[in-house]
Amino acid sequence: MTLQTLPMLNDYTLHAPWMPRLAFAPKNSAPRGDTLVVIFLRGAADVLNIIVPHGEDAYYALRPTLGIPRPDDRKSKLRTLDLDGFFGFHPALQNLLDAWNEKQLAIIHACGAPDESRSHFKAMELMERGVDDAKGPASGWIGRHLATLDTGNASPLRAVGVGEMPQRSLSGTVPVSALRSIADFHLNGDARAVAQMRSALDTLYAGGDSFSALGQETLGILDILQKLDPKADSESQFPTSAFGLALQQVAMLIKADVGLEVAAIDLGGWDTHFAQGSTEGQMANLIRDLGDGLAAFHAAMHDHLHKLTVVTMSEFGRRASENGSLGTDHGHGSMMMVIGGDVLGGRVHGPWPGLGSGQLVGPGDLAVTTDYRDVLSEVLVKRLNNPATNEIFPNYQPQLRNIFK
Amino acid sequence: MTMNLSRRDFLKLTGLIAASTALASCAPANQLLAPLANVVWPALSPADFLSLNRLSFGPNAEERARFAQIGLANWIEEQLAPESIDDHSCEFRLRNLGTLDMSASDLFDVSDQIFDNVDRFKVPKELRQATLLRQVYSRRQLFEVMAEFWSDNFNISTEKGDCYYLKTVDDREVIRKHALGSFRDLVWASAHSPAMLVYLDNQSNQKAAPNENYARELMELHTLGVEAGYTQQDVMELARCLTGWTVKEHFWRGQFTFDAKVHDTGTKHVLGLEIHEAGQAEAERVIERLVEHPAAARFISTKLARRFLADEPPAEIIDKAAQTFEQTHGDIRAVLRVILLDGLSLAQSKYKRPNNFIASALRALNAETDGDDATQDYLLRMGQVPFLWPTPDGYPDRTQTWQGNLMPRWQFAFALARNEIKGTEIDLPRLLETVHAKTLEESADQIASLLLGSALAPFARDELLTALHAAGADETESLNIFTAGILSSPAFQWK
Repeated sequence: MTLQTLPMLNDYTLHAPWMPRLAFAPKNSAPRGDTLVVIFLRGAADVLNIIVPHGEDAYYALRPTLGIPRPDDRKSKLRTLDLDGFFGFHPALQNLLDAWNEKQLAIIHACGAPDESRSHFKAMELMERGVDDAKGPASGWIGRHLATLDTGNASPLRAVGVGEMPQRSLSGTVPVSALRSIADFHLNGDARAVAQMRSALDTLYAGGDSFSALGQETLGILDILQKLDPKADSESQFPTSAFGLALQQVAMLIKADVGLEVAAIDLGGWDTHFAQGSTEGQMANLIRDLGDGLAAFHAAMHDHLHKLTVVTMSEFGRRASENGSLGTDHGHGSMMMVIGGDVLGGRVHGPWPGLGSGQLVGPGDLAVTTDYRDVLSEVLVKRLNNPATNEIFPNYQPQLRNIFK
Repeated sequence: MTMNLSRRDFLKLTGLIAASTALASCAPANQLLAPLANVVWPALSPADFLSLNRLSFGPNAEERARFAQIGLANWIEEQLAPESIDDHSCEFRLRNLGTLDMSASDLFDVSDQIFDNVDRFKVPKELRQATLLRQVYSRRQLFEVMAEFWSDNFNISTEKGDCYYLKTVDDREVIRKHALGSFRDLVWASAHSPAMLVYLDNQSNQKAAPNENYARELMELHTLGVEAGYTQQDVMELARCLTGWTVKEHFWRGQFTFDAKVHDTGTKHVLGLEIHEAGQAEAERVIERLVEHPAAARFISTKLARRFLADEPPAEIIDKAAQTFEQTHGDIRAVLRVILLDGLSLAQSKYKRPNNFIASALRALNAETDGDDATQDYLLRMGQVPFLWPTPDGYPDRTQTWQGNLMPRWQFAFALARNEIKGTEIDLPRLLETVHAKTLEESADQIASLLLGSALAPFARDELLTALHAAGADETESLNIFTAGILSSPAFQWK
């Protein structure tokens, strides 16, 4: 038994040699930039039905059943909401038109990663780590952003993963906690028992190892959150879905100015192989959840937009043609949305590769013309004041695409 | 051998007593079923405590005594023959969960409320409850660990379509039936399982345009792994073989069927095999190929070693386990023997996943739980409700995923120690009576020994008790919060 590698179980503080707390000074220091909110659409969102290329005849040929009707298709009650004469919103994104019209929402279409495995799990892992293959660093790209930039912010809420598990993208040397609900983040009991429990936790997590650091961070968050009023934000109109609630928690943290720099949120359910629906149905409901959530967040953050960047991403896109089950199989090119006060919004960025037979790649998929790391690098450099993109995205030379002013 | 017999007889006896007393009296059956609270728990060496922690949902007093008595190798052999272990008292706890043994069509019927449409909650709720109760109370602990392992490998979420009732059949006829059997039978049963065909959309996979979902995950997640070298072409060709594998409706609702009318009859090429027209047998031939594939032996051996030994398991154990896997054509017990007997001495720290954290607390403290909503709600906050992981990769098995969500663990510990979880109860004074603990210090040492394997170092115990005293705790409060503290401590999060 290699006991030297095991925690000393007769010592609750677990001064464990195998988990030293890695404390080192980040290379760069800069004032805090925007608060970044990264929304991951898990399951490979069918972006061709979210930001619809209604100007492409091929789109309608490939999707006779699932295609979202053209903006001028009078036969259909629900149809594409035109954006620029070629692309349009799925009708369930109606509420997001305000952000678009105010030029605070940019879309980068045919965007994605080089990985062609068409495996959700491999693609998500590589994307969250910000690497090309398994050999890259195990930490996440946001984790490396936090580790390479000193903003003078020691808040335990510098980064949170909204939900039950911190996202892979957040992992790294800076401890990051999951936060499901501000209202639930406390010890339930009478004040006397809570004080005793608190005293026990302070004693138990006093060690200098990385796990104790995580515990201390959790206690720090507890202290901050118990000063917040969970009902403070009741005027905002967030959807009552888990996604809406997640955005509401982030909005509250931003308004309360507790030192939040990065929040990661997941919205799952996009793996629509079967009966995804068109203007209505399973996927339309998801799109509505996404659009209504983003619209509510955009509205609630009105006074903070120049210190805020919201990014949506997904591991890859779906096959350009519909499958036999009224759904779509795994594809390649995806799409990103960026919301913020200083984004060059109200336009669709990125070269459009087309959906014609010579233009699709692999088994018939949208090509990738903008690497997702180009978009994130621009966010890091221009909005988060972190120039260390070569550490955050190793072995990749990002091209900035002028998505921000 | 005599030990086995004596254990069996003993367990049979307690099982019979429990059952007959419950039948004969109106006394609350749960009290009669409290498992062997009068067993003294021996201190275990860190190595033994670690082994028992990995092979079960956490050591309880009875299992510790057994382990100390017969040793690791015998304990493993005993657990690899679960049918030899009397489990009546656990089964008795499941007696009111009437949907566990029902056929698919009966499950659908009980979900169908004539006036209020379909109740999608009753059946999966009972399955979740049964899962937690088995993890806490079954004496076939290694079997339960393996059932959880395969439930992850062949993940099905009860939120997807008809899986809300079909998963109960899959759990019984696929996962639990073959958990310690042959990998080939397991994959075979899973491929013919209506729940799986619905979950991964194969029930709609037809010649007109195949649906690739199940074909891909059958190779990527269930057998070969993403790095095995198969191609997108292989995925599409296997999907063609699987056209027509679907689920019956109406009178035979929920039964597997092959629908030749929608099967793609052309020749296919999968993984180097040329597959000619053979209906249902086409995909079955590919399955036989997949389970014999060296990549599957390696993929499953690695995952098993990760579950039992370390996030990054030692290469020599994976090699030997994969070799055994190939030689025995996927005999799960044979592979487990290699991983456990050769591997446990190389084990590295692993973080308890939420199910494991909760079950180990309840087991160690001899808790009485109904496994119902109040307990499940903590699993929800921690992120591991049974059969609710949405994506087909199953609940993650790496430490890193689960760290960073300490608050619900602390909340659970705080509530459990003060008996504030509805439907769950612990009785610390009774536990401590068993071992004649008199002073607060003796009691604290016994609690720590139960939860961590051995007592805390005196300085650490005193430091914690002093802190509690300073926070105004009287003796009862001190013991309760000490218990909550140990449950919340870094050491108890690891196994």
